[in-house]
Parts: sequence; structure tokens; C-alpha cells
Amino acid sequence: MIPINWVVGLAAILFAIGAIGVMTRRNPLIMFMSAEMMWNAAALAFIAFARHWHDMSGQVMAFLIVGTAAAEVGIGLAIIVTVYHRRHRLDVDEISGMKN
Amino acid sequence: MTPFVILAILAIIGALGVVVAKQPVHSALFLVGNILSLAVLYLLLSAEFLAVAQVIVYAGAIMVLFLFVVTLLTAGKEEGEPKEQLGGQRWLAGVLSLAVGIALAVLAIRRPGPRIVSGLPRNFGNLHGMGLILWGPDFLYLVGIAIMLLTAGLGVLVLNRPVRRKDARSQRRNEA
Repeated sequence: MIPINWVVGLAAILFAIGAIGVMTRRNPLIMFMSAEMMWNAAALAFIAFARHWHDMSGQVMAFLIVGTAAAEVGIGLAIIVTVYHRRHRLDVDEISGMKN
Repeated sequence: MTPFVILAILAIIGALGVVVAKQPVHSALFLVGNILSLAVLYLLLSAEFLAVAQVIVYAGAIMVLFLFVVTLLTAGKEEGEPKEQLGGQRWLAGVLSLAVGIALAVLAIRRPGPRIVSGLPRNFGNLHGMGLILWGPDFLYLVGIAIMLLTAGLGVLVLNRPVRRKDARSQRRNEA
């Protein structure tokens, strides 16, 4: 059997790598994929704890995370495409229209 | 332990590839590798339904959507990143998130917590057990997710509606 604390450690590492991607990259598509990775890390932690406590509620939460991520990707990609049609650049630093 | 180590290394390689890759297409492909290794890891954690759902929803639907958008927006384009305006803030943010990740991982690995040795309950991780909870005590969450997905679909339609001519003219005047 897999020791559960190592799985949670892996989830933490994946979450941190995703956070680094969101913080340091400027392409909105890559930032989005990093955010997906962070969702996945959270789901992995939920599943690991579900296995540890022999309780399926964690797996239900992970299922809800998958659903939420699907909705988020739909909306987010629509926003990226809309912004690209107006600006013709893929750079989050360019999008400062809501500032001031 | 060995399968877990192999899968963890694969997942971390995929994750690093997403962050490091220059082209968004390469990021998407690395993300597919990351997601598939996580799906096998779910199988090892006896979450068979979620492993299948992960492959179908993430590797199937979401990644295809990503690849469509990537090819639509960045086909044949080779543009360097524009000038940095934030100074060292970006590096600082990266280093800080790295520190948070290392702290979380060390804490998680060094505190194992109590163990449960009894066997798994019946229907653990398969569709039957999942349905018993989703249509039983957690039905409210299911309805919430359903409403959220419907709203997201409507939002996509609203965001991508064709611009009417009058709107376009007034918008052009605003930009001028």
C-alpha cells in the first residue's frame, strides 16, 4: 500500500509547481494550464485522504472538483479568445483595461 | 512503493514541462502526460471511477479544448515575450511559491498521522458507491455543480455572441 503522507507531499509539490507557473508565466494559456494543475493537486489530496480514512466523501469532492474545473476552462478560454480578438496579443500584462 | 515513485516522477516531469515549455502546444502535451500519470495514481489509490473520469474529462474534453484554442490563437506565430515591466517581482513570486511548496511537502511527509488497518468498505471507489453518496447526502452539491456548468455554458455563449453592427460602430467610436 502507498504511504498516504507521500501522496499528500506529491500533491503539495504539484500545487507549488502550478503556483510557480501562474506567478511567473505571462501567456494566459500557460497560466490556465498551471491553474488546472493546481486543481488536480487538490483533487489528488482529496483522494489520498479518502483512501486513508476509508470514507468516500473525499472522492465525491474530487468529482466535484473535476466538474468545477470543466466549467472554469470553458469560461476562461472564452475570455481569452475574446480578449485576443480585441488585442491580438497573448500577454496578461497587456490587459490593463480595467485598471483605474 | 515503486509504482508510486515512478508515477510521481512522471507527474513532476509533466508539471515542470508545463511551466518551462516555451510554446503553449508543448505545455498542453506535457499537461496530458501529467494528467495521465495522475489517473493511474488514482487507480492505485482505489478510486477507479475517478481515474476513468479524469481520463475522459481532462485528457479527453479539456485538453482537446485547450489544443483547439492554442492552435487557433498561436498557429505559426513566433513572438518573443515583450519587455518586462514588473522588475524582480515575478522572480520573487516564483521563489516564494517554491518555498511554500517545499514547506508543505516537508510537513506532509514528516507527519504521517494515524493509520487505519481495517479493510476497505464495499463499493469503495466505484460508480455504485459514488452514486449512493451523490444521490444521497450530497445531492445538494450535485445540483450546485449542475447549475454552475449550465451557467458556464450560457456565459460562453454570451461572451462569444456576434457583435451587432450598431454596437461595433459605437465601440469603434469609443476606441478612436
